[in-house]
Amino acid sequence: MLARPGLPRFDYVRAETADEVVRLLQERGEAARPFMGGTDLFVRMRDGVIHPQVVVDVKYLPGIRDVVYDAQAGLTVGAAVTMNEVARHPDVVAHYPLLAEAANSVASYQLRNRATLGGNLCNASPAADTAPATLVLEGRIVLYGPDGEREVPATEFFLGPGKTARGPAEIVTAIRYPLPPKGAAGRYLKLGRNKVGDLSIVGVAVFGFPDETAPSGYRFRIGLASVAPVPLRATAAEEILAEEPPGEETFVKAAEEAMNEASPIDDVRASAAYRKAMVRALTLRGLRAVWEQLA
Amino acid sequence: MGMHSITVTVNGEKEYLEVPSHMTLLQMLREKLAITGPKNGCSAGECGACTVLLDGEPVNSCMVLAVEVDGHEVVTVEGLAKEGQLTPLQQAFIEHNAVQCGFCTPGMLISAEALLKRNPHPTEEEIKEALVGNLCRCTGYIRIIRAVQTAAEKGGA
Amino acid sequence: MMAEFSSVGKNVPRVDVFEKVTGSAIYADDRQFGAGLYYGRLVRSPYAHALIKKIDVSKALEVPGVKAVVTGKDFPGRIGLYLVDRPIFAADRVRYVGDPVAGVVAVSEEIAEEAARLVEVEYEELPAVFDPLEAIKPDAPLLHPDLGSYKVAPFIHPVPGTNISEHFKLRRGDVESAWSQCAAIVEEEFRLPQIQHVPIETHVAVAIWEPSGEVTLWTSSQSPFAQRDLIAQSLGIPHGNLRVISPYVGGGFGGKAGVSIEVYAVAMARAVMGHPVKLRMTREEEFVGTTVRQSLVAHVKVGCDADGNLLAMEVSYYFGGGAYNDYGVNIARAAGYSCTGPYYIPNVKGDSYCVYTNQPIGSAMRGFGMPEIHWGLEQAMDQLAEKIGMDPVEFRRRNCVKTGQIIATGMTMPNVDLVACIDKVAKAVNWGKKEPPSAPHKKRGKGLAIMWKAPAMPPNPGSSAIVRFNEDATVNVEIGAQELGQGAFTVAAQIAAEALGVPYDWVRVSAPIDTKYSPYEWQTVASRITWSMGNAVKAAAEDAKRQILELVAEHWDEDPEDLDIKDGKVISYKSERELSLKGLVVYGLPNEDFEGWKGGPIVGRGKFMPTYVTSLDPETGQGTRAVVHYTVGAQAVDLEVDTETGQVEIIKIASAYDVGKAINPDLVLTQIEGGAVHGMSSTFEALKFDEKGRPLNPSFVDYRIATAADIPKEIHGDIVETPLEDGPWGARGIGEHVMVQTAPAIANAIYNAIGVRFNELPLSAEKIFMAMREKEE
Repeated sequence: MLARPGLPRFDYVRAETADEVVRLLQERGEAARPFMGGTDLFVRMRDGVIHPQVVVDVKYLPGIRDVVYDAQAGLTVGAAVTMNEVARHPDVVAHYPLLAEAANSVASYQLRNRATLGGNLCNASPAADTAPATLVLEGRIVLYGPDGEREVPATEFFLGPGKTARGPAEIVTAIRYPLPPKGAAGRYLKLGRNKVGDLSIVGVAVFGFPDETAPSGYRFRIGLASVAPVPLRATAAEEILAEEPPGEETFVKAAEEAMNEASPIDDVRASAAYRKAMVRALTLRGLRAVWEQLA
Repeated sequence: MGMHSITVTVNGEKEYLEVPSHMTLLQMLREKLAITGPKNGCSAGECGACTVLLDGEPVNSCMVLAVEVDGHEVVTVEGLAKEGQLTPLQQAFIEHNAVQCGFCTPGMLISAEALLKRNPHPTEEEIKEALVGNLCRCTGYIRIIRAVQTAAEKGGA
Repeated sequence: MMAEFSSVGKNVPRVDVFEKVTGSAIYADDRQFGAGLYYGRLVRSPYAHALIKKIDVSKALEVPGVKAVVTGKDFPGRIGLYLVDRPIFAADRVRYVGDPVAGVVAVSEEIAEEAARLVEVEYEELPAVFDPLEAIKPDAPLLHPDLGSYKVAPFIHPVPGTNISEHFKLRRGDVESAWSQCAAIVEEEFRLPQIQHVPIETHVAVAIWEPSGEVTLWTSSQSPFAQRDLIAQSLGIPHGNLRVISPYVGGGFGGKAGVSIEVYAVAMARAVMGHPVKLRMTREEEFVGTTVRQSLVAHVKVGCDADGNLLAMEVSYYFGGGAYNDYGVNIARAAGYSCTGPYYIPNVKGDSYCVYTNQPIGSAMRGFGMPEIHWGLEQAMDQLAEKIGMDPVEFRRRNCVKTGQIIATGMTMPNVDLVACIDKVAKAVNWGKKEPPSAPHKKRGKGLAIMWKAPAMPPNPGSSAIVRFNEDATVNVEIGAQELGQGAFTVAAQIAAEALGVPYDWVRVSAPIDTKYSPYEWQTVASRITWSMGNAVKAAAEDAKRQILELVAEHWDEDPEDLDIKDGKVISYKSERELSLKGLVVYGLPNEDFEGWKGGPIVGRGKFMPTYVTSLDPETGQGTRAVVHYTVGAQAVDLEVDTETGQVEIIKIASAYDVGKAINPDLVLTQIEGGAVHGMSSTFEALKFDEKGRPLNPSFVDYRIATAADIPKEIHGDIVETPLEDGPWGARGIGEHVMVQTAPAIANAIYNAIGVRFNELPLSAEKIFMAMREKEE
């Protein structure tokens, strides 16, 4: 069936406290749905994929729209911080430019004024643009639920397409990013059908930093989007980069390995074969670009 | 349950409205206030024909619930010209023939005005990126980009 | 005879632009209808091909707020322009996924939609066919078993008992013998999928059926009069009782010509007499539930002699026309009589078929068959040039059609200068100069393509116009042509101002177009308006001018031959007297000593209809005059291919078109620019369906069009002016031509860059990358 002309009926509730939301989710289960930007929720509702009876606006919970940087603890981004806010926040730009770049690559300027970091990660589309960056920056998702607050590392958060470790009565309140290692550099490269603004056919985040504990003297982290059921880290490729001397030969080898770690599907946007090839191409480009910044 | 009383400032006017939960800002503007500048091109946040300013920032009004704008400020294309005086950008659109069918124009103007406010001297690349979310099928965008450049030269939005 | 133009040929500002930049321009969904407005929603088939066994609307009728539900049995008529093959609502069978079987009317769009989802339809699935080559086979499932009984225009030739809704034959010279004289021959198959117009404004129609029998339809329409004609006939409404009003159109591109969803609004309105019913298409419905451009499989065989002169061409075009071909048949016909492309070829065998397929309705889209056939033709020509060792530009210069030559239908080519167009674009891209790519992993290439197109119309499409005055001598121009963004209203005002002798800003174009008040215009299609409406407006203005000059001549006791109107004043070249138009154009002039009055309200009228188009022999396609004229043009593309990703970056598109006379040169350039981007975008677009014909990408998420960030670095436009014999000051059309050959120009440039040819659209970074990889292996 084609999408309906407008949204289906539902109740809108604006939450004032996190406990209020948790209670509501416990009472109503699937019939209640927290939302922030709505850019994903409204589309799915119009498409008939989901139909909650109550949508709970959690944008007004205390602190959920704040960006806080601490020179010791790192960065805390409230779940409802918009993509544009992430992309231009001076502390993000200064200390986590990779995250700013990733946030800035999402859709259009208008959508980035509504789409949120928390929403992007929670929807857990394999194509989520902020996921690779969050993975390589070793972000932790902060959840609040019936048992209070807990943190889940990003690497354990994505369980399947659209599925996360968030419990049915939990909400995401923030994403915490540890201080990046000294001298780190990163790039997010995205390939879409348009030059800018499309969903990614392939998204690659490359993050590197000097590390004397690594035989190569450097550690790299590689995050991939749109090439597996979940956004993932190309850990085997990362190992190669930790072991072997940095340079074109190692980068090619790592890019090939990253390609092997991807398990994309054929879909209306691209074929699995092309996606695999583009993992290699974008990873290689990303490594070269990051290396240029490191060296 | 279902209906909300909201107060929202639209193009400088305070409006007191009753809106159902599931009504979008676009529907509120067009159906409750007969403000038809913002257009419905897709209802999915993709085409930008519905772009308005929400507290000074461009948003797809089809992707915002009416109830969410309670206490906020909305500006549509109708609110750009003050007392019939076109903005430098609107005049530049005329000068450069940046309008053909005109259906994308309201949203395009809003996005471009907002760009010039936050970045008074954008590069060509910056203009293009700022307008990625406003689809046009007629003009090929060239005249629109030139109009934004002209307006920037004339001192902004 | 004017030595200097006052309006024509000038870059005057558009008449519609102030409204559009202030958001005050009204489009079809903007009009307020008050509390009595109802909304309609359609129930659409989930199957590509099925018999309808039973429709149960009872649950839908029970929904509070539902006012009526109508189905096919309520409307036994069929609708169609050239071939009357479409039922109002599918009654016995559905022929594409999305074929409407019922309409629900309710007090809100939301309620209508909920109720529509409760209509229960029992289907018996039938085998479906999606490829025209499959559909043309003798054992293919038959979509229209009653094809033989459909009313059809005399120049369309369906084959009852098959899925062929039109077969155009062109036979000229002796193709069989000519092959033996060819030094090089190219034979290829080319394919392209269905694509959609993607106007930013979707289709919207509001209809009200009064108990008196008067019916009014407000709709975004390129063709209010044609829509009135078709809907009146199919629903049994006397023409004079049906009024069609259309405000500004938010993008047409051919999709809002003819009738698509408008008839449903009128049909539903009959069930709720006295209430306006609004039917608007969602974007998803716009993609697959209005009309699309047909798919095509083209077999092209072309040969030349050792000097590179084209000798022979054999083509077979199989258009995938979709479920209903009422407009598509004329596209196949136009592709048939113009099948050679803009070339002089003495021996031609062409067969152009429109074939029913279980797909969305194929219909008019910008270019009307020309982009579809040029995709293959312009690549085949490039391949042939390569085979004979000739530069592609040189090949086009040598073989392109020239004034006075006898073209494929036996018609003499009217005045055009295609060589000038070729020269201009070749120069603009530094043709012949191999220029380096911007990075080592990129490959750069240049390609070009030429085109031609004639307005594809019945032989007697008429335009008419009225010129009236206000007391202050400002002018109202009444036309039936529509402003789609192309600038029709502006051109009408310029022509009226010029022909009358008044300042441009004195002229207003009466809008919206309203069949009750506007004079008849066949349709705003075919790039015919500047020429045809322009002639009518010119005639009407000249008629008004003549009446004014006669009046003032009598008043001054002079010869009207010595008088003129300049800048809104009547002047005498003889006595050098002057008289303002103000007042006299309405009130006339008093006699001496007020002994009576002369004159009165001046109303100028004009019409234009071509009188010289002849029929074509159904076996050979030969005839004295197949078409009114051709517009020709050339495009050259300079691009880069990223060998690591397959992405294409267009450096420059250079276009040149022979428009006869540019009434507003800057507006011609804006058409060139928009067309280049539309053409470029269309190269990468495709509607995708699964194996059961269900759409896979009916939304902007997965049907991508060019954004501001995708445009070429540079678009260059040149205007060539070889006057059209019967155009206003020599003007001919441009609106469609600007995107006809962009796709093959791009394909030719890609071949030049990476040595890979693509016979099938759409192109994509993936396709290009995989082809390069395969080539290496």
